[in-house]
Amino acid sequence: MDHLDKLENQSIYIIREAYKQFKDIAILWSIGKDSTTLMWLVRKAFYGKVPFPALHIDTSYKFNEIYEFRDEWAKKWGIKLVVGKNDQSLSSGMGPDQQDKLSCCGQLKTDALKQTIDKYRYKALLLGIRRDEHGIRAKERVFSPRNKQFQWDYKDQPPELWDQFKNKQQGEQHIRVHPLLHWTELDIWMYIHRENIPIVSLYFARDGKRYRSIGCEPCCAPVDSNADTVDKMVEELKTTKVSERSGRAQDKERAYMMQKLRALGYM
Amino acid sequence: MNNENLKFVIVGHVDHGKSTLIGRLLYDTGSLPEGKIEEIKQICESLGREIEFGYVMDHLEEERDQGITIDTAQTFFNTEKRNYVIIDAPGHVEFVKNMISGASQAEAAVLIVDVEEGVREQTKRHAYILGMLGLSQVIVVVNKMDLINYDQKRFESVKKDILKFLLDISIKPSYVIPISAKKGDFIANKISKMNWYDGPTLLEALDIFKTKESANYKPLRFVVQDIYNFDKRIIVGRVESGVIKKGDKIKILPSGEETRVKSIEEYLKNVTEAEAGKSIGITTEDKLFIDRGNVVIHNGDMPAVTDRIMANVFWMDRTPFKIGERLMFRCSTQEVSCEVEKINRVINSSTLELIAEDATEIKNREVANIVIRTDKPVVVENFNKIEELGRFVLGREDTCAGGIITEPEQ
Amino acid sequence: MIVVLAIDALEYTLVEEFNCKNLKQRFYGKTNIKEFSEPKTMVLWSSFMTGKNMEKEIVARGDKEMWNTELDMEDTFFRSFKNPKIIDLPGFSYIKEQHEQERRMLKYYFDAQSEEEKKNIRTEYNNLAFLHHRRIKQEFSTALQGDYDFVLGYFSVADVIGHLNFGNGSMMKLIYRDLDEIAGTINHTLIVLSDHGMERVGIFGDHSNYGFWSTDLKDLGNPKITDFADMIKEIPEVN
Repeated sequence: MDHLDKLENQSIYIIREAYKQFKDIAILWSIGKDSTTLMWLVRKAFYGKVPFPALHIDTSYKFNEIYEFRDEWAKKWGIKLVVGKNDQSLSSGMGPDQQDKLSCCGQLKTDALKQTIDKYRYKALLLGIRRDEHGIRAKERVFSPRNKQFQWDYKDQPPELWDQFKNKQQGEQHIRVHPLLHWTELDIWMYIHRENIPIVSLYFARDGKRYRSIGCEPCCAPVDSNADTVDKMVEELKTTKVSERSGRAQDKERAYMMQKLRALGYM
Repeated sequence: MNNENLKFVIVGHVDHGKSTLIGRLLYDTGSLPEGKIEEIKQICESLGREIEFGYVMDHLEEERDQGITIDTAQTFFNTEKRNYVIIDAPGHVEFVKNMISGASQAEAAVLIVDVEEGVREQTKRHAYILGMLGLSQVIVVVNKMDLINYDQKRFESVKKDILKFLLDISIKPSYVIPISAKKGDFIANKISKMNWYDGPTLLEALDIFKTKESANYKPLRFVVQDIYNFDKRIIVGRVESGVIKKGDKIKILPSGEETRVKSIEEYLKNVTEAEAGKSIGITTEDKLFIDRGNVVIHNGDMPAVTDRIMANVFWMDRTPFKIGERLMFRCSTQEVSCEVEKINRVINSSTLELIAEDATEIKNREVANIVIRTDKPVVVENFNKIEELGRFVLGREDTCAGGIITEPEQ
Repeated sequence: MIVVLAIDALEYTLVEEFNCKNLKQRFYGKTNIKEFSEPKTMVLWSSFMTGKNMEKEIVARGDKEMWNTELDMEDTFFRSFKNPKIIDLPGFSYIKEQHEQERRMLKYYFDAQSEEEKKNIRTEYNNLAFLHHRRIKQEFSTALQGDYDFVLGYFSVADVIGHLNFGNGSMMKLIYRDLDEIAGTINHTLIVLSDHGMERVGIFGDHSNYGFWSTDLKDLGNPKITDFADMIKEIPEVN
């Protein structure tokens, strides 16, 4: 087995463990490349079926391409789609131009997810996060409990060895399952390439720009790139060390920081 | 360079130089993001301080938040021979759980010892855990040689201590290398100050290690994970060892019933066999009652089907285990309730002193040799034969102990 | 001699995390600054030296003008000393040009359009802060040798650098180590005090809603920043 085969087989094992252990389970499908790869692996694990709902948290500010892709492939793949929205916040006008962007994310993404988990009483969620994405995620386990407030006690986690995962979920807790934890961004693209996985067109360069991560339209900035095929993307990734998140998170933090510094009289 | 990956863990007492060594390995192999060292150097200069290599790791940890794909828990570098994954294991005693979680994924280990401090508490505990996890490829590096002026005598005396201690726990290191992670001596480059040492550098020594052998040549163990009935009945699971082929005559354990493999099931693929490591499905000629935790084998080389197991366990929960308490025994996908019939010996995992014989409790970070009685028969192996069925965890709500089977039947 | 190490934005959790023993001394903890609506540097240090809540008065000067505050010695507890030396303290002996330039560059940073430009400004900003830090360190060390009965050194580096780099752990760690070493060189009755701490916003740092204190004298619990004026006055002069 080559490197990608090993990753694929390990992920399928994890997905099947999660399905066996938890009845009320869903996959969080942001329509990004990672969660779509995860969806692909779920279909492999269950011989073309997706035997649980796919949860899409809709901020209503997503790119049009995302909605189109979601509806097209949900239909083709026979996916039971559950769309979660924070209607209350949306009807009170919340958006990226209101207050600061961090609160917008908090209400339209995090709170929306909390409400949806509450409503459908999911006990476990499959997520496409990777260890190499973000500092704190290096400490993630494959099966990771979260309390009702989504808090994660990373300093005192149960040990996880030899594929023996946390299989008991208590009370209001839900378990986050991370089948792609051991993949890197490059692995994902090489796998998409090998398997020919459909991906939202926003990832591919148009007029010298492409999106390295996708989400809400107002908060995503494209990076300079001429990679208009998966092939070129793999090549680009092998040679650059530019931040994946730099397109979005820093902008938000900057805006928030400016506002705070102004309030403190610095500027 | 070929495409193989070797995962190794760096363990040792806190402050013996793990992060400096990782920083150095990355630096010497050209695996650091551009300009990082320069940036750290500059901060040090701005404050009028000397640069310390360990800061590189702190720095990388933080940098990841800015999106650069480097991960200190799993860091990557490569030599001309192959790719390496470093699994960083925390040196602090509080993090022994994480150390075990990390080391359990490794194929080799580097044990780091500060030449001035010698063998310390966590050195011993970590070495012991490596031995328990069956990691036989071990390199010892004796660090901070620069601080003792590359003195051969001091090195030899520390080396003697380490070897004596390792011998007690049956670990035979491939090399004991004098290094200075800070100065970069004998990591990638040799230096003339230690021309009394004629062994390899750390990177040369790592290149000599073998990646984990494929388990294809071992007897077949296909462990059942679940039964699916989507379009047809498929028995899914993972081939832990051996190769399973269409048409094979197979036996299901523990029941002992026999049948043949009708098909190997992989989505959208037409395959007739599956090798070790594959998560696949099978269908059988005869419709047998098969359940999660069953083990599919070829006739001939039998694992043990037993309810009594002798094992060494490492307890890693703050609440001690007291004899009489019931625990869950989990080995591969088998999960049964069990009790501990006897605690033969309890050992301090750091000093290796015998704490008690025929004991009644096992406390946090203690190692014990025990006899387990499972409620139902399980299919297991001696760890040295097929590790996937020779290792297990014991748990309450969560995993409390990891164990290695020394004798499947008693 | 009584010495006050006044450190802007010294964060309690980082002092703990990096285990800065000299900054901690025998007793240490958080200060309570909840009486202030915003943790503003100028408001907090002015309140510290006068022993009363100066928020209204300082805020009334406006965001620009407040940085020019220069209180009279007679209005502060420093007057109880015969020969006090107060280095760079906001609201008293603040080196305005330096800090004004820092704030100007902070604005440039956020106004800059390209990543390249931001990067350059950040480097220049950091250099400016570090340079000033070395200068204050020198001045402080000279003062400790002098014939003063009270020395206060104000160190702004953790705040200035922190605003643009708090998420850069190794940079902050190095700064905390340096400050810890400075505290270690003081062989007199020492009080370490910060106006507020700092919390992380990505790579940036925002003021947190408590400050830090430490002393060898006694456990102060959860003191207010205005408690220190009276407390320091009452420290018996040893030697």
